[in-house]
Amino acid sequence: MKNNKKLIIFFGVFCVLLTIASFLYTAVFNDERFIAPMDMSDYVFRVKDLPVIISCVLLALYVLYIFLLIIKSAITNKNREEDTEFTRTVNPKYGYCGLFGLFGFMGFWTYNLDKTVFPFVFFMFFGFFGFFYEGKMSNTLIDERYKENRIKAQMAADKIAMSVIFIAVLFLGQGKLMGNLEYTLIAFVIVVALSIALKMFLGMYLLYHYDNDGSDGLFDESGE
Amino acid sequence: MPDFECRLKKYRQIKDLTQEQLAVQVGVRRETIMRLEKAQYNPSLKLAVDISRAVGAPIEEIFIFK
Repeated sequence: MKNNKKLIIFFGVFCVLLTIASFLYTAVFNDERFIAPMDMSDYVFRVKDLPVIISCVLLALYVLYIFLLIIKSAITNKNREEDTEFTRTVNPKYGYCGLFGLFGFMGFWTYNLDKTVFPFVFFMFFGFFGFFYEGKMSNTLIDERYKENRIKAQMAADKIAMSVIFIAVLFLGQGKLMGNLEYTLIAFVIVVALSIALKMFLGMYLLYHYDNDGSDGLFDESGE
Repeated sequence: MPDFECRLKKYRQIKDLTQEQLAVQVGVRRETIMRLEKAQYNPSLKLAVDISRAVGAPIEEIFIFK
């Protein structure tokens, strides 16, 4: 397994170095083809193009392989988690990662600067505040009451997040916020990012609440 | 929802078991046993059967729905 990892890293470094070498080659010996802007509609193949083409294909295959490995690993970890008897050990201090959500406010600045809206996505990081609660439940035996509470908490969190998105779609779907379609889309990105954060946080907060304070609280789903 | 009464504490004490010991025997947390005794949690059929076997009393005498 360790050798396998080393091999994967080795191929990654090899692919990157090969790509850099091929681009250097094309910059020096092939009239900067593929580096300088070129019209691909009248592209004519040259043998000297081969290093760039081969290195790019190899790099793309490598990236695809890594992507598939990540998906496979995520599925395996999920199955392993379902089989384990205890919750994972999480340091509650990871909850401070939620502060990265504040970077989302940078979006207002970057949008004014060069119309970049990507930083708004950072609002999702507010969801990491949930680690404060997950940390408190570290290494807990997963018995039937815990499983029941977890399902109940996830359902309540999903319901609240979906309700927020539903209302946002209803209002923002009208088209123009302050007479500007761009503002509408920005508002939509913010609402979706915050809803995801809310879902992540509430999933953990409610689970902790149900598990420790009983289920007769504000978010009780049972209706009993 | 019918009124739920749980006489687990009585049968557990007869059997001279602590909440922790009973929890380990039936594979749940002590908190779950505590909530069961306070009639704040309805167990699954499997857990009810396990508890019934652990304390040596019939299910219908431990968990009573009025």
